[in-house]
Amino acid sequence: MSQAAQRHQNTDYLDEEVNLLKPSTPYMRDHLRIVWAGFVAWALIVFGPVTLTAIAPGAMTTTMPVLGFPWHYFLVAFCAPTGALVLAAIYARQRDKLDDKYGIDHNTAGPDEGGASEGAEATATDGGERPEASSEPRSDGEEER
Amino acid sequence: MTIPLQAEALDISFKLLPAIIVFLMMASFLVIGYVFKVADTEGMWVAGRGIGNIENGMAIGANWMSAASYLGLAGLVALAGFYGLAFIVGWTTGYFVLLIFLAAQMRRFGKYTAPDFVADRFNSPTARALAAFTTLLIAYVYSVGQARGMGLVGQYVFGLDIIPMIVVMMTITVGYLALSGMLGATKNMAVQYVILIVAFLAGVYVVGFTGGYSTVLPQIEYGALFSELSRQFSEPFIGGNTYYLWVATAFSLIVGTCGLPHVLVRFYTVKSERTARWSTVWGLFFILLLYWAAPAMAAFGVDLFAAVNDISPQAVFTGEQAMSGAEGDVIVVLAAQFADLPTWFVGLVAAGAMAAAIATTAGLFITASSAVAHDIYAELINPDATQRQQVLIGRATIVGIGALVTVTAFNPPALIGELVAYAFSLAGTVLFPMFFLGLWWENTNRQGALAGMSVGLLLWITSIINSVLPAYVPALANIAGEGGALVPIYAQYVPPIGAALVGTPLVFLVTIAVSLATPEPPLESKQMVRQCHSPEPMGQQQTAEDIVSSGGDTPADD
Repeated sequence: MSQAAQRHQNTDYLDEEVNLLKPSTPYMRDHLRIVWAGFVAWALIVFGPVTLTAIAPGAMTTTMPVLGFPWHYFLVAFCAPTGALVLAAIYARQRDKLDDKYGIDHNTAGPDEGGASEGAEATATDGGERPEASSEPRSDGEEER
Repeated sequence: MTIPLQAEALDISFKLLPAIIVFLMMASFLVIGYVFKVADTEGMWVAGRGIGNIENGMAIGANWMSAASYLGLAGLVALAGFYGLAFIVGWTTGYFVLLIFLAAQMRRFGKYTAPDFVADRFNSPTARALAAFTTLLIAYVYSVGQARGMGLVGQYVFGLDIIPMIVVMMTITVGYLALSGMLGATKNMAVQYVILIVAFLAGVYVVGFTGGYSTVLPQIEYGALFSELSRQFSEPFIGGNTYYLWVATAFSLIVGTCGLPHVLVRFYTVKSERTARWSTVWGLFFILLLYWAAPAMAAFGVDLFAAVNDISPQAVFTGEQAMSGAEGDVIVVLAAQFADLPTWFVGLVAAGAMAAAIATTAGLFITASSAVAHDIYAELINPDATQRQQVLIGRATIVGIGALVTVTAFNPPALIGELVAYAFSLAGTVLFPMFFLGLWWENTNRQGALAGMSVGLLLWITSIINSVLPAYVPALANIAGEGGALVPIYAQYVPPIGAALVGTPLVFLVTIAVSLATPEPPLESKQMVRQCHSPEPMGQQQTAEDIVSSGGDTPADD
């Protein structure tokens, strides 16, 4: 079991304050790092080109070579939405990695999901990257009290 | 602003083949709806919670791609040029904010509806009532745009006058909804997504190809057309469309995306928070398939409009023969008609627009019906309500709101895309701050939430009264005079379409200030917030409240 997973098991998340600016658990710190990095990149992609167009309309409205778009139009109409999609996929991927790091397996969650067979399937198909702790239901009941 | 009731350039007559396509499509919706018909409220609201990434992504896509996306978006890009791109950016990039801040947390909170969330997070029936009222208002305003879209496009196929056409289309939607619950609607939404994206992209590809505009990638190839179009098509910030309005509009649509009840309810239908995250990514991809292509269709449509009417590129935007608002709203269908494509093909594109409008209206009416049946009736008026009574009230709500929307759509105040944007600025102003602060700041309390929501509602409603109502109420019109707004400076900085740029930060401030000035919320509320951010997996039917009240045990351990 990794150190991160160990720390995760020793944490009672119901006792730890949620604070967007001051994360109280290692997991939250790692998560917020991804969230804020993504958010800043997103803000630049979404509002950057239009703001530049307002500041320097001349330079921004020049025509792109080959494609023929004015730059400002292409950056807003195509790059901004596509950038958001790429960032979304990166975020979801990073979150999955974070879960792996802390030994969290969503496939074995909850009693009413028919988790057993589904969990086994997931373990078999993902090439053994998953920390071993996650292949069996965790028993963290003791630390909770 | 006056909007011509129908599109002059559209070929309005009864056409048999397109009518058959539409009929088959509607029939398949009703059959699927009948097969999945459900009687219990659990099934009606959240489809029994067990839907996967891609299917839920498609449902998100179908829910999203309303008449506003299918028709209104290309219309705005065609008519308003660079300002129209604020709608493309606003209606897509908001999903990233939704994903990183709200999607999984909402799923963990585990409540059926936006009013449920607000009520449970802030322990307040009054907060529930405010959220339910906001939800109803959103569904209403949003649906008016859909009804107008259905009516305009229906005219191409059935040739009725605009008013009977809207009535017929809305009757079909309401009839379908009254029969099937959300389980049917959810299954349908994946089907409807496929139908509408195929119809839309077929339109773009075929118009692009036959017009000699594009071959394999019209989404990029329309760039070559810019040198031939009027500069108005791409010129930034012309006329009243300032940088401020651009940013205000995009911002409102982004926060609106994160506050819209019919989008959030999609996260309750998935089996885990991981599915909630990935289905958001898939949903955005499915949405982009349309949004990448919409400006291309707008460019083709504008060019064809000039060619068919034999006018200069500039005359499309100004003068006697300029494109009207109604023509802009159906530019997607018009472009196919102008390209001299067979009527069955134009009919297919038109049918896709109807599917888009029906799918979204279905989702909105379900949300409205649960707001009334569940949040207002069962929670506030009659706590002993049986399941049967709730289902009946829910269905009555659908019929009622359907009638109201129909009547309003006869004489709408703005273009399809703009109408829908009003609903977004409301959602972004009132609901988004509640979701965001409710999930990310555990000290947000009841008093803060009530004050914030009241201020948000007040700001949006005054903005509508200020800018939209004068067109309908002669007494107000006299006061407003030329500009059309009662208080021009308020209309400039808090336009209904971009009210959230001022509104959202204001509601955040009010909520935070009042929360700080009043006692902290109970520990249980704080623990619910913490549970939403805990990495511990949760069961499919569990809510954060269950976990907190059972003393923090994770039932996965059993």
